[in-house]
This record gives sequence, C-alpha cells and structure tokens, in this order.
Amino acid sequence: MTATTRSTKPDTDTRAPALRGVKNIIAVASGKGGVGKSTTAVNLAFALRQTGAKVGLLDADVYGPSIPKMIKIDTKASVAEGNIIVPPESDGIKLISVGMFNDGDKAAILRGPMAAGLIKQFLTQVAWGDLDYLIIDYPPGTGDIQLTLSQTAPITGAVIVTTPQEVSLLDVRKAISMFKTLKVPVLGVIETMSYFICDGCDKKHYLFNQGGGERLVREFGVPLLAGIPVDPMVSKGGDEGKPHVRDFPDSITAKSYKEAAGAVAQQIAILSSTDDGGLSSFSLTWKN
Amino acid sequence: MIRVKDISQKNDRTLSIVWTDNKVQNLDVVKLRLKCPCAGCIDEWTHKPILKPEQIPETVRPVSIESVGSYAMKIAFSDGHSTGIYTYQMLRSLN
Repeated sequence: MTATTRSTKPDTDTRAPALRGVKNIIAVASGKGGVGKSTTAVNLAFALRQTGAKVGLLDADVYGPSIPKMIKIDTKASVAEGNIIVPPESDGIKLISVGMFNDGDKAAILRGPMAAGLIKQFLTQVAWGDLDYLIIDYPPGTGDIQLTLSQTAPITGAVIVTTPQEVSLLDVRKAISMFKTLKVPVLGVIETMSYFICDGCDKKHYLFNQGGGERLVREFGVPLLAGIPVDPMVSKGGDEGKPHVRDFPDSITAKSYKEAAGAVAQQIAILSSTDDGGLSSFSLTWKN
Repeated sequence: MIRVKDISQKNDRTLSIVWTDNKVQNLDVVKLRLKCPCAGCIDEWTHKPILKPEQIPETVRPVSIESVGSYAMKIAFSDGHSTGIYTYQMLRSLN
C-alpha cells in the first residue's frame, strides 16, 4: 500500500449569508466618546446615499445608542422567517440599533459577552441585502465590542474621528493601534469641531486648537479625509432626528461631510485596486 | 499588510499556507497545538507556558481552521481545544 498525499482546499467565502451582498464595510471609530462619531456616521451615510450608493448603518453602541434619536424613522424593525431581522429604512438607508429594541430611557445593562453576542447578531442575522457601504458606528474605546466587530466581519477599512485637542488624540492613537493589530486598514481621519465660522465675519475660528487631525496624519501616514466645522445646525438636526446633510445639502458643513464621503470612497477604490489576492475569509476542514 | 492567499492541508499533519508576499509555510499541526497562544495555554501576564507538552498526544489534529477578521485564524483541535487565535504575525514567526 502506498501513502497518498491529499491536498484539501479551503472554502473561500465564509462570510455570514447576511453580509454576502455587502461590498464594503466601513468602521467609524474613535478612542474617545463625545467627539461626534455618531453624527459623523449618520451624515457620512446620507452623503454616500446622495451619490446614489446603497447604504446601511449599524449602530454598534450597545450602551449608548444614538442613531434612533438622530434619524427619525417611522417603521420598526421586524423579524422575518428564520429569525432574520428586517431593518427599517430612512431615505433608503437601512438602519439597525439596540435603541430600536429598548425603551428610550431604559439602560441596556449587559456584561461584555452578552453585548458582543448582540452585535454579532446585528452583523449576521440582519437582512442587509445588497449594499455598497455598510457603515458601523463603533462605540468609543478598544474593548469587547470593537474586537467582536473586527473578528466577525471582514471590515474594509476604518475611519477615525477626532476633535483637534491632544486629549482626544491620545485615545485615537490607541484606536489606530488596535486597527493595525487587527489588520484593518485605516482609511483616514475626519476631524470634527475643526473650526467655527462666525456669521458676522465669515472667518474660521479654531476653537479647540488647530491641526490635531493633521498631526495624526503626519504621525501615522493616513490621509485627513475632511475637517468638519462646529455648526449649531448639525446638533439641532441630530436632536430632532433630521440629518444635516439631507436637510441642508448646500451648507458649508454638509459640503464638508460630502467631501469626507468622497474621500472615503476614493480610499476604498485605492485599496481595492491594490488587491494582493489575499482571502478575506476562509475555512478549512481537516481530513483524517 | 500580509494576508493569506491560500491555505490547504498538505498531508496528515502538515498545514500549508501561501502568504500574499508568496512566502510558503508548511506547519506541523502538532506543533501548532503546542504553541496555542490562548490564555489557558500561556499565562496572560507572565507569558509563561501553562500547557504541558506531555499533555498533548502526537495524534492531535485540527478539526477545522477558520479565519478571524483579517488578522488571524482560529483552529479547533481534535482534543476539544479551540480557544487559540493564531495571528498572522505569530504564524509567520514560526519555523
């Protein structure tokens, strides 16, 4: 009897069926809370939608979901056959958030593994359908949920949101280092609260220091995608469930979000043009 | 960013990986089990091995190997151990 050498090949698309129609998954993240991550994620989603792209938005902040407040939706999430969640839509953008399943003021009191399980469900059991971009609004920090997200879904790239102050940059560096470890390409940095335009003099006032985003860009060699001004209309729109980019598409702030969306699309195009033949997912069954 | 281009079972106990820089690595699966990086096999703080090599039989084999995000793979072994996440960086440092 002779020994035979068998070569077994891997299955090269092990993505959850729910994610198979999703072309690009974008993580919107920062180290710190309160830098405008959700506002950025929402307006980025609407700016990409305005270019004609099919967009989904996943609010991964289990403990402080804000998307349902920032985007007013009329329909509720429903559950279809096979325990698949059908996400509600706003202007054609598919949305999912823990906030849709909870009373507004009730806290989600969950330990890490439970929260991570919930997020895993949002990725694998939601009828995302065909999407050009699925934007994930990350919770702040570098913990359980961030790890689960990066382990469950093949993230195309991460957009880092920061304000110009050094205290914000401190934690942003940690977020960037996390994505480096997890081999998720950083698409670039969006600097929020960059400047304020006075309606009296039309001059840009740099309220929180100038050039924080640019410092990060120099330090890590990632592009600055856009600087977003402080604009009371944006936070007002957020509180009223009216995304700024949708309702005031010609404002200076909306234009800066559109600039960010264009830069994100461009960075993704550059990434996919340098395809090195690497598998985005695989599984191999050992034969005895 | 180096990723897996191809992964296959070469023979009964050898896993073959082709990386995106075209480096080919043939790894002994028993050695992979011994090198498991999980917190149950290596102390998280001291990095000292907890796993005793004599506990692992020569007959141990993978059951399945699965990608984890874009940075690692998870190997489930025939001895029931499946908590090790082998990062690409760690795998490439093995001979």
